[in-house]
Amino acid sequence: MKTSFPIRLPALPPPPAALRTLIARLPIQPPSRLLAAALNRVLRPRLPADAALELADRTVEIEVRDFGLRCRLALRDGRFRSAPDHGPVALRIAADSASYLRLLRGDDDADRLFFERALVMEGDTEYGLLLKNTLDAIGPLLHRPA
Amino acid sequence: MNTPMNTRIALTVGPVLYYWPRRTLLDFYAEVAESPADTVVLGEVVCSRRHEMKAEDWLALARDLAACGKEVVLASQALLESAADLRALHRWADQTEFLVEAGDASALRALAGRPFVLGPHINVYSQPALREHAALGATRWVAPVELALDALALINPPAAPVNGGPANDTPVATEVFAFGRLPLAFSARCFTARHFHLSKDQCGFRCIEHPDGLLLDTTEQQHFLALNGIQTQSAAQHCLIADAPALRAAGVTRGRLSPTSRDFATVVDLFERTWNGPADAADAVAALEALSLPGGLVNGYAHRRPGLERMPA
Amino acid sequence: MQTSRTAHATLPRKPALVCPAGSLRALTLAIDAGADAVYMGLKDATNARNFAGLNFDLAQARDGIAYARSRGREVLMALNTFADARAPERWFAAVDAAAGLGIDALICADTAVLAYARDHHPDLRLHLSVQASATTWEAIEFYRERYGIRRAVLPRVLTLPQVEQVCRNSAAEIEVFGFGSLCVMVEGRCALSSYATGQSPNTAGVCSPPSAVRWEDGASGVSARLNGVLIDRYAPDEPRGYPTLCKGRFEVDGARDYALEEPTSLNTLALLPQLMDMGIAAIKIEGRQRSPAYVEQVTRVWRAAIDDCAAQPARFGVQPQWTAALGRWAEGQQHTLGAYDRPWR
Repeated sequence: MKTSFPIRLPALPPPPAALRTLIARLPIQPPSRLLAAALNRVLRPRLPADAALELADRTVEIEVRDFGLRCRLALRDGRFRSAPDHGPVALRIAADSASYLRLLRGDDDADRLFFERALVMEGDTEYGLLLKNTLDAIGPLLHRPA
Repeated sequence: MNTPMNTRIALTVGPVLYYWPRRTLLDFYAEVAESPADTVVLGEVVCSRRHEMKAEDWLALARDLAACGKEVVLASQALLESAADLRALHRWADQTEFLVEAGDASALRALAGRPFVLGPHINVYSQPALREHAALGATRWVAPVELALDALALINPPAAPVNGGPANDTPVATEVFAFGRLPLAFSARCFTARHFHLSKDQCGFRCIEHPDGLLLDTTEQQHFLALNGIQTQSAAQHCLIADAPALRAAGVTRGRLSPTSRDFATVVDLFERTWNGPADAADAVAALEALSLPGGLVNGYAHRRPGLERMPA
Repeated sequence: MQTSRTAHATLPRKPALVCPAGSLRALTLAIDAGADAVYMGLKDATNARNFAGLNFDLAQARDGIAYARSRGREVLMALNTFADARAPERWFAAVDAAAGLGIDALICADTAVLAYARDHHPDLRLHLSVQASATTWEAIEFYRERYGIRRAVLPRVLTLPQVEQVCRNSAAEIEVFGFGSLCVMVEGRCALSSYATGQSPNTAGVCSPPSAVRWEDGASGVSARLNGVLIDRYAPDEPRGYPTLCKGRFEVDGARDYALEEPTSLNTLALLPQLMDMGIAAIKIEGRQRSPAYVEQVTRVWRAAIDDCAAQPARFGVQPQWTAALGRWAEGQQHTLGAYDRPWR
């Protein structure tokens, strides 16, 4: 079941300072576009066709609270793309970077983080659950550092 | 063949779901005896700890009501847990004087082979399921409260009803829960006792203080549910008084009116005059509205909507 | 003290560990973590966990069964909603599909489904779902005598002595819940969800469906609504729960509280020796809607506990690391033995 991916974050677990530096180095490249590109490599190929269809054309806002970072994405025409900065979103997800990493590595589940308020999901709850269940079924997008 | 549009819809007085003092209960049934109701369902179906009436008291009351011309049905409990609960069930199953209404699958086993009533907590949601239960001997089916009228018509079609009874030759009659706070859920936990910070086994029988249940509101004061011991009910009263044409079209031949502590005789009269007489449905709704408990009237379930909604008939 | 355990000539029978799988990934992790059996459902309203993105299509079910088989484990399929009057044949088709897949047992609640399986697939093993609300041995016997069920899952409302009484008198195997979110109402006997939303476990395989949930930010906190009905309101720093209707905060007599049920989880780890003594055939872990990580880690703890208890029942004790591991995954972060010892009794 193990799959390796060409993409790695700079360090896992990431020292927040290092990530901050990384983000600071990318002032002109909107983080949404970076994230979309990453997801198109890591997630898109593993997304089942029916899930891709159901998830398509809705905007999701992802906030990394400890970095003050906000991304907006939508799955359009089969690709993740950055979405406009304004206007309504179907779902807003907010958590600290550490929680995201735990989720991406399959160390934790969204329900648990949600119960503890470490993860906030707002908006269309059904869409949120569809997204959560789809990602759960796919498995970790990142692997623990060796 | 009957023309379904003018057949009488029989009135069943459902079991008293609350814990009333014995005197109150006997006065209530004295009034029922004088009412136009066809059938009376007796017995404690919610909590086996309630003890104002013993089995013998229920049987004596049943005989009195039968002498007044009422058909009497003895109901078994909906949630059985202990050996004593099973004994109480067999007390009803062992007598043959009165029809018994099954509250759970233990009762189905005890009653198989004779005519009996399928209570509203037996999960019959499709025609094949009704056939399974009719094959046991059931002759009457009280539909689960969640079911829409269009489903009733599919499950027991008026033109071709499912056959039941011991010889499998008696058309099963469809009864709907037509008036009262809806019995929505059962738990092992007593919510009334919980509210008073009492344990279930030393509950002090505080539910006797709430003759129509204990109202539960949302944080913004919407009357939502009613606590009745281990049973959770709707705060609103389900009311199908204005739905007679739809009921007849769905093959319903009986309506169950669930006892309330006040004005119940008026309720029975209104249903009789509206369903089986010339009274105007809108007037009847207005009259029941004026008498209703906090929460008002609803009928969403009948129309395949959330139960708390109110739909035009 | 010396006579009780040593008098037994044989060790108590080891109950099967039955774990949830909402996805193929959860299934494989459960098997790898030591589940004796996993239970799953198809992607439709025929099972009681009918949520977006969950459950198996036929190809995934085939892969899952092959994975379990190759490791000597079982796959059970939950087909435990009630057939819809408008299309009961869909439930029958699901029975046919289950039989075609060669699953080890079908878990069902509806007499229509049970009868169909009995008549058309006599070799298919049937388990009685908790949704059938069979709380007494006589109720279980009804289903065994009529439909040939081999095992019954008990609703989470009985006390331990009541469970024992069922075990003693029933010819069917008994399965009990060991861990997971707690349903305070008798399963199969709760229409609260359809009262508020039109959909319930019995009619649609869902409780408090996400499509009816709305979160609203306001001056008085965050409100969780179910089809408009305010289920709970949280202060900004208060932990939030999924707005399951029975776990909301309501007002009774002017007092605002969890009037029905606090968000807690069931954990019967401490009762393992007694459950095994009674001859419980299987212990079920709740949570097909939870993540594969939950399934894997909860399964691992229960595997260790059951093995420990079977090896040395007299010396069994709940290990602190088990409690800590399960505590991490419990809803509401609280443990309770639930109805089995009835703290409210």
